[in-house]
Amino acid sequence: MLTSREQERYDRQIMIGEIGREGQEKLKRSRVVIAGTGGLGSPIAIYLVAAGIGMIRIIDHDQVVLSNLNRQILHWEEDIGEKKVDSARTKLRKLNSAVEIEAIPETITESNVSTLMDGCEVIVDAMDNLPTRYILNQCAIEKNIPFFHGAVTGFEGRAMTILPGRTACLRCMYRGPVPQEKFPVVGVAPAVIGVIQATEVIKYLLGIGKLLTNRLLIYDGLKISFNEFKVERNPDCDHCGTLMRKD
Amino acid sequence: MAVKVHIHATHRQYTNGLEVVEVTGRTVGECLHHLIKQYPGMEKALFAKKDKLLNIVEVYVNHTSAHPNELVKPIKDGDEIHLIIMLAGG
Repeated sequence: MLTSREQERYDRQIMIGEIGREGQEKLKRSRVVIAGTGGLGSPIAIYLVAAGIGMIRIIDHDQVVLSNLNRQILHWEEDIGEKKVDSARTKLRKLNSAVEIEAIPETITESNVSTLMDGCEVIVDAMDNLPTRYILNQCAIEKNIPFFHGAVTGFEGRAMTILPGRTACLRCMYRGPVPQEKFPVVGVAPAVIGVIQATEVIKYLLGIGKLLTNRLLIYDGLKISFNEFKVERNPDCDHCGTLMRKD
Repeated sequence: MAVKVHIHATHRQYTNGLEVVEVTGRTVGECLHHLIKQYPGMEKALFAKKDKLLNIVEVYVNHTSAHPNELVKPIKDGDEIHLIIMLAGG
C-alpha cells in the first residue's frame, strides 16, 4: 500500500497509464542491485531512488578520488577519500529517505557474487571493467536474474538487457578478455546510458514496454545518434549455452 | 554493387577520415582484407594475428552480430558491415 505521502510524491508517474498506483506499489516492493557507484551507477541509482524502488543494494569497493568527479555525480569534492558506497548512500537518502539503501563496500568476485546478489530481482551493470561484467553475467544466468548491461568510453555508450535463458547474454556477443586500461570518458556519456539502463529496469519491474533484449543499443554522443544491432543467443556460449541446450 | 564497411570513429585515422569504405568480397574476411588492401593501417586496428580479430572488435552484418566465426560469414553485394569497438568503461 502507498502512504498518502507516497501518493503525493509519485503523483506525476502514477498519472502515467502504464504505471498507475498498482505499478507504483510494484516498484515499492522491488529489490535491485546496482554493481558500481561510478559514472553509470550514479545516474542509475539517482533515478531508481527517485522512482521509488523499495530497496537498492549498491556495491563498490572504491574510494572517491578527484578524477572521479567529472562523471560520478553522486560524489562531490567533500567526499574525496570516502568510500563510494557511503558517499552515495548519504546523497540517495537525502533524495528519498523511504528507499532502503544497502551499501556494500566490497569487490565483486567469483566467490562472493552469488551472496551479494541474493534476494534481489534485478542486477544492474555499472562496472568499469569487462572481467567483473562477465562474473555478473554468469551469476545472473545461474540465478535466473535479469541483467541490465551498460558500458561507455569517450562520448560513446551501449546498453542491452539480458533475460537469462531467453535472450542473448553478454558472453554471446563478446569474444574474450580485453586489456584493462584507463578509459577516457566525458560525464554526459554515462549519464545517457545510465538513464537508459534505469528506464529498462523500471519497464522490466512493471512488465511494460519493449525491452532492449537481443538488441544492442549503441549511442554516439558526437553525432547524437542511436544505432541498434541484433544479437542472437549463441548455442555454444559458455555462459548461457547450457541453458539453451536444456530448452 | 559493392559492400559498404562502416568505420568506427577511432579507426578513421587509418581511412583518411572516411566513415564508409566500399569493398568487395564473398565473406566478411575477404571484405576486411580488401579494406586493408586499400587502407593498410586497418590491419593492426582489426587483427591480433592472421585471421584472428582483436577481442575488442565487433562485426555486424546488416545490423546483425556476425559473432562467432565472423570472418567466414557470407556477404553479398549491397550488404553493410559495421566495425564496432567494444566498450568496457563505466
